[in-house]
Amino acid sequence: MGRNILVVDDDEIIVRSCAAVLNGEGHEVSGVLSAKEAMNLIKKNTYDLIITDIIMPTIDGLELIKWVNDNYPYLRIIVITGFSSKAVLRDAIALDISEFLPKPFFPQMLIDTVNKTLSTPPKVPLPQKSVEIFDTESLLAITRRYSKKRGALIMVLQEAQELIGYLPASAQKIIAKGMKTPVSEVYAVVSFYSFFTMKPMGKYNVRVCQGTACYVKRANEIMEHLQDDLGIKEGEITHDNLFSLETVRCIGACGLAPVVVVDNDTFGKVDPAKTNELLKHYR
Amino acid sequence: MSKQTIDDSLPLVQPHPLPLVQPHLNTIKERQAARANNKKIMLCGGTGCLAGGSLKIKDAIEKALEHNNLKDDVKVVMTGCNGFCAHGPLMVTHPDGVFYEQLNPEAGVKIVDGHFAKGQPVERYMYRDTVTRKPVPKLNDIPFFRNQTLVALRNRGVIDPEDIDDYIARDGYVAASRALTSMTPKEVIREIKDSGLRGRGGAGFLTGLKWELCSVVVQDEKYILCNGDEGDPGAFMDRSIMEADPHVVIEGMIIAAKAIGAHYGYIYVRAEYPLAVKRLRIAIKQAEGYGLLGRDIFGSGFELNIEIYLGAGAYVCGEETALMRSIEGKRGSPIPRPPFPVHKGVWDKPSVLNNVETFANVPQIIIHGAQWFKSMGTQKSAGTKVFALTGAAQNTGLIEVPFGITLRRIVEDIGGSIKKGRSFKALQLGGPSGGCIPESLLDLPVTYEDIVQTGAIVGSGGMVVMDDTNCMVNLARFFLEFTAHESCGKCTPCRVGTRVMLNMLTEITLGNGREGDIELLEDLAGDIKAASLCGLGQTAPNPVLTTIKYFRSEYEAHIRDRWCYAGVCRTLCTFHIDEGKCTGCTACARACSTGCIVGDKKQPHRIIQGRCVKCRSCFTACKFGAVKIGSALATIGSDPSINTFNDQEVSS
Repeated sequence: MGRNILVVDDDEIIVRSCAAVLNGEGHEVSGVLSAKEAMNLIKKNTYDLIITDIIMPTIDGLELIKWVNDNYPYLRIIVITGFSSKAVLRDAIALDISEFLPKPFFPQMLIDTVNKTLSTPPKVPLPQKSVEIFDTESLLAITRRYSKKRGALIMVLQEAQELIGYLPASAQKIIAKGMKTPVSEVYAVVSFYSFFTMKPMGKYNVRVCQGTACYVKRANEIMEHLQDDLGIKEGEITHDNLFSLETVRCIGACGLAPVVVVDNDTFGKVDPAKTNELLKHYR
Repeated sequence: MSKQTIDDSLPLVQPHPLPLVQPHLNTIKERQAARANNKKIMLCGGTGCLAGGSLKIKDAIEKALEHNNLKDDVKVVMTGCNGFCAHGPLMVTHPDGVFYEQLNPEAGVKIVDGHFAKGQPVERYMYRDTVTRKPVPKLNDIPFFRNQTLVALRNRGVIDPEDIDDYIARDGYVAASRALTSMTPKEVIREIKDSGLRGRGGAGFLTGLKWELCSVVVQDEKYILCNGDEGDPGAFMDRSIMEADPHVVIEGMIIAAKAIGAHYGYIYVRAEYPLAVKRLRIAIKQAEGYGLLGRDIFGSGFELNIEIYLGAGAYVCGEETALMRSIEGKRGSPIPRPPFPVHKGVWDKPSVLNNVETFANVPQIIIHGAQWFKSMGTQKSAGTKVFALTGAAQNTGLIEVPFGITLRRIVEDIGGSIKKGRSFKALQLGGPSGGCIPESLLDLPVTYEDIVQTGAIVGSGGMVVMDDTNCMVNLARFFLEFTAHESCGKCTPCRVGTRVMLNMLTEITLGNGREGDIELLEDLAGDIKAASLCGLGQTAPNPVLTTIKYFRSEYEAHIRDRWCYAGVCRTLCTFHIDEGKCTGCTACARACSTGCIVGDKKQPHRIIQGRCVKCRSCFTACKFGAVKIGSALATIGSDPSINTFNDQEVSS
């Protein structure tokens, strides 16, 4: 089965030849010439393996590995380098990498190392999606519990969203049936209230308060920084399903402005420049 | 940065075997009174202080008490919001009333060791006078508290919100028992009507009149509703009352239910307030356990059940008719009135909806009488009002003041003025439906009528202090963005009108404003106000109209001079350094995110305009006011003195 691999090296020939070799094995390979570009791609796409050089201009490989370990700890990493001095080797191994491959190497060595690394499980388990498949029975049980109560649709939807994590069209149909209301009415309510979402949420839901007190203390800059850190826009979910990002209209903690809420945890007096530190609690 | 987690579990309440009647209240009161002089630490457990880590402080204090063998002598109580949120996490010692602020776990230990073990108050964590820097030990001597009059907030910080006995000890449920056992609905209504209590949610309708209109409708099924859907950004008075004193809301509802003849009540709370929901749930359980809710309350034969209804995030649901649709499980779209909710409300039955703060005033009026309430405030605006003072003032937090006080006293005496080095620009009142009041109108008394004259409204009580680094055009855009987003979409003037205004304001802040835009905005605003169906649309243009009225020159500077003097609209400003003022301390160069500030140590610095991204870091970093904000038309890199707008310039 083909896997997604990212090759990072400032030498274009290495990137091209690695890509050619691994493409031949049926993998999807992307190549970049700097750690900066690599970080941008890792934020946007899902990879199974990163192959990186150590000595690169501006941001070097060691720094890239540290960043990956901090933010995407489940990613496997193979280090390739031409300067395999003991010191470099020691630094790299200390950083918890999967394999080490000194340059120059033969194509077969690369293939063997890659296959060996990919056959091992990730260093930490991949974060799971909230719930993809929901239990129809428990959903119906909620509707049954409320079937005698007038105007219970919003409560049913709140409980259903707690169960599934979001309200996909299929769930809305089941709820409509259980509540004996037209699907259109269920959808009308779901689409009206900002609490309900039809998209799955991340494991942690990050909400940036945009109330007046937070706004005048530059909450919009916090939002910009979080979008950068997570590589997503407001209303989206990171590809590893760990975070989703939203705006909230005032949580009433104006004395602490500006405020960010992650699930039930409230962070006050947030420094826009240090949003990444806040996310570290959850990685 | 710190973290809080809310525990959703409910403590078990021992159900009271028999419905509680009057004598039992007295027994509880006596029992609590006997403990009145026990030493207690009232640690703030409001949303703000919890986020500041007050749970960790509580753990540290409890350990320290155990260490000092004081565990049985001093009780630690988590109270609701104390109000002085900017200085949190905080605590007050009982009975001596010493106020400690900006705590951390270590401070908690030191205070136990000093204040309680050795009997020496710890000066280090006391409030300090802003001028003399001397510590002010007593809560009541701190200007922020001294200038307040507490009615709706009278129990804040002095009771444990999760213990009904604490509430009863402070005359809790006395008013309800009086209303149920010795007053007729007409007498209750007359008392409230005579007091002149007006709805605290925004519109200021007479509460007693609303009850009377509903009470005369002959119907078996009526509803009493509490509006805790505090949607205004920058307002948190209802949250604080629900968190600090949940029983007062229930008691107010019992009295109102008796007045109108309702036997079922809903408290509609925002889902964004998990702590308020938790405390209300506990309070309802405890009240039911004591027989204060349910059948035959106080043996009077009167029945009332209250249910909490969680909002699902829609600002428009703060509007009466929309909220009622939401309780019915529908989209929260408002409907035209009449019929009024007092005739046809929830499920088409007569309903009365009052705000949390309104209910919090009711028991006090029943206990002390209408005359007492009228003695506070002004002729037409009686009593007190809670405001959420936020923004650029030094002392931000929740305050309660009598009507008639001037805005200046609120901003200067209670708020402690603007932070050092900045100057006051405007006071935003009433959230997205309100407006901005300039310095020249600060001597206005706070009453419903006087504030409406300015174009703003008292509203629910959000009060945001703006300094000279806030751009009024951008602020108007912010509020319009909010209302355009929250418009329910039912009526065209609001749905399309707010969007068109928002687009125009956005263009102005981006530097694409045209001559005539201001007049067009005013024109559109008039149409939206006149033609919208509900309060949301009718008041949505207020922030734009008031900023144009009082800060027209700022709009004109944006459009004609391409200049945002506050330096907020990035395409409309340039930053440069006044070489005469620059001391060469390098603070700006170190703060610069793009490294575009050059200059040697102790020599004037310079900003390379081509590389400047206008992040304002240098402006914030400079302690000498040397970084100036100029117009986008100022010639790049040239001598700043050619800029002709120096008279209005803002400096850091």
